[in-house]
Amino acid sequence: MVLMIDTTTRQIGKGIAKELLRSGRNAAGFELIDTTGMHISHCVGCNYCWLKTPGVCVIQDDYEPILRKMSTADQVWLVSDTHFGFVSWQTKNIVDRIMPLVTMYLKFKDGQMRHVMRYDHQPDLGIIYTGNGDQAYLERWCQRTALNLGSHSLGVFSESNGREAVSCML
Amino acid sequence: MHVVIINGSPRVRKDSNTEKIIAAFAKGLSEKGVTFETYAVSERKTWDSIRDAYIRNDEILIALPLYVECVPGLLLEFMETLPGKDTHTRLSFLLQSGFAEGCQLRCGEAFLEKLPEYLGVRYGGCLVKGDNFGIRILEEEKQAQVTGPYQAMGRLFAEGDGFLREEAKKFTGPENFPLPIRLLMGLIFKTLAKKMFQKAAASWGCSVPLDEKVWETSKD
Repeated sequence: MVLMIDTTTRQIGKGIAKELLRSGRNAAGFELIDTTGMHISHCVGCNYCWLKTPGVCVIQDDYEPILRKMSTADQVWLVSDTHFGFVSWQTKNIVDRIMPLVTMYLKFKDGQMRHVMRYDHQPDLGIIYTGNGDQAYLERWCQRTALNLGSHSLGVFSESNGREAVSCML
Repeated sequence: MHVVIINGSPRVRKDSNTEKIIAAFAKGLSEKGVTFETYAVSERKTWDSIRDAYIRNDEILIALPLYVECVPGLLLEFMETLPGKDTHTRLSFLLQSGFAEGCQLRCGEAFLEKLPEYLGVRYGGCLVKGDNFGIRILEEEKQAQVTGPYQAMGRLFAEGDGFLREEAKKFTGPENFPLPIRLLMGLIFKTLAKKMFQKAAASWGCSVPLDEKVWETSKD
């Protein structure tokens, strides 16, 4: 399943979804989450999802259903506005709160410390952005973030290259 | 010199590892006669005062924990409210993380290196250091041991070159651990560390395995 999480103020995810459906490429299922009007807090770093209520975030807002979908998706596409060349704080909050999918336990993978993942299945991660994103930095960040999930980066695409992103969707 | 120190951690101040690092760092500043004022973005009600302090002063230090390879969402949100300034203002960073190796913090550091330009200010360098996960759960004496080295970095900062000197760069420690150390640590992760984490969890009232798969619906 391809999951798209759209935090952009212009809600550009809709257009990309249309493009995907029109292309007829996606056979594995598709879902678009538009976060407009949702209450999604930032991660408060309490570590409860590792040490007190393993796998469960104690913040009760609109986030958990999104995380559940992320945990089963094959691809997660973050559709984000950009500031300082980077994803918006709205998108970063969504990524910061993936910690319940990660356990407290540690291991070495490819020579670096990593957390042991809670579930066996991990989604690959891609970014579609509006505005003046720093393409090279976003690619680096997306790759590193996917590495932490034990998955792969699907690539980073500006809004104008949305069609290319669609061609990477299952 | 007068430094505005902003704790960029979203965690409440009393439990913040970054706060404890700042305290040690500030001791070093005081020893050299440098004054400072501290703020925390976790206290959202104070954002107007933090922004005022940022506007009124020209020596700013943001200390922050690494959150998923970059700046925590809450700090990003705060920073979007900052007005542009000029290069009379110097912005330095202290970036800390749980993971121990230097290589883990470089992606976050790369963002911070470019950030001052977006804000119109001058970059004062970034002090980079991992292995800080457990500070808040350590006993006071051990806590002092872990945060102690930051005091020396406070003294270095007081000399006026931000974190641009070689001593600050060396502070990070090893970029990667050599293979024998990794093998040894890997063994500890599978045994002692697991027990230690489970014990810490029990003291927080947790009675289930830390790697429990809570959502059965998750794909295998």
